[in-house]
Amino acid sequence: MDCSYFRERINLYIDGEMGYLEVAELQSHLSFCPDCAAELAEVGEVRSALAAWGRLELATPPGFVERVMAAVEVEPAPGSPKPFGQAVDDTLQKLDDTLGRIPLPGGRTIPVKNVIGWGLAAAAVAIGLGRRHGRRARELTPL
Amino acid sequence: MATSNIHKWASLPDPSPAELARAAEGDAQAFKLILERYQGMVYSVAYNVLGNHTDAEDAAQEAFLRCYRKLPQFRSEATFSTWLFRLALTASVDYKRRERRHPEPVETPEMAAEAAPQLGEGVDAATIVAALHDLPDDYRVPTVLRDVYGLPYQEIAAATGRPLGTVKVMVHRGRASLRLKLRAEGAGPEQGPAGARPRSDT
Ligand SMILES: [Zn+2]
Repeated sequence: MDCSYFRERINLYIDGEMGYLEVAELQSHLSFCPDCAAELAEVGEVRSALAAWGRLELATPPGFVERVMAAVEVEPAPGSPKPFGQAVDDTLQKLDDTLGRIPLPGGRTIPVKNVIGWGLAAAAVAIGLGRRHGRRARELTPL
Repeated sequence: MATSNIHKWASLPDPSPAELARAAEGDAQAFKLILERYQGMVYSVAYNVLGNHTDAEDAAQEAFLRCYRKLPQFRSEATFSTWLFRLALTASVDYKRRERRHPEPVETPEMAAEAAPQLGEGVDAATIVAALHDLPDDYRVPTVLRDVYGLPYQEIAAATGRPLGTVKVMVHRGRASLRLKLRAEGAGPEQGPAGARPRSDT
């Protein structure tokens, strides 16, 4: 097998994504091919430089803390109850994430949250109508 | 803040449970202490994912806002720095998916001169920053997540919304491109006598 075969596998080797037979095959090639061995070493150098870079901390721009604090101070306190509308939206979104979509005839699908949303809206309308109806009924009832 | 702008954030001590509890209750001063302690870490993550200072500041600010909102949900099974690091990563990747990039000239982030680190044989911070800056976003983001921050490919695929196979190819190409750039800078490992190692792949 030629070098290009092994070059393609160097990344798999580095990422630990090769079986031990493949590893043995690559290692035996590396033992007599300085070019492929050099490429492996270089990719290794790149990765260790990147990892070292990732452990370093950069300076934030001047005024960063003050700007974040200004944004934080207009936030409601953490954990304070959400506005009702947002709480409903969040719950529906969660349901949607877990239940996904409902298949309709004809191969189309709709998100579960729409169905529940329509259900809630219909319930609200029904309750409203019921109340009005009850009130009117009382108004009309002769004593 | 400390005069030295650069240090290893992984060694930062976590805030005490009492400090965290105060911040979670909305104590602005307690939150400010956390912000001051971790600003560099969060900003670095954002800068490395986004590749420029304007976006990095926006995303880092968003990460701290998420941190403030979610503090009551923080559980001490994770260390605080790991938890916040994840918030910073997701805020940055979300920002990347949402916003258009601000083009900016390469500018090495500020660091204390005496601490200008060597990141390997002949590789310094400016070389890495320039090399990452030159990578197309599609390569840089997954390569940073994989090799700067050590995320598993599965998580990178989930975070970036790309197929696993695509993410792997992008990381492989990102590495190849960085290897050539570092070598072109004369920073590679093969700084031996000229011709000591014949190459066949250039
Ligand atoms: Zn070879």
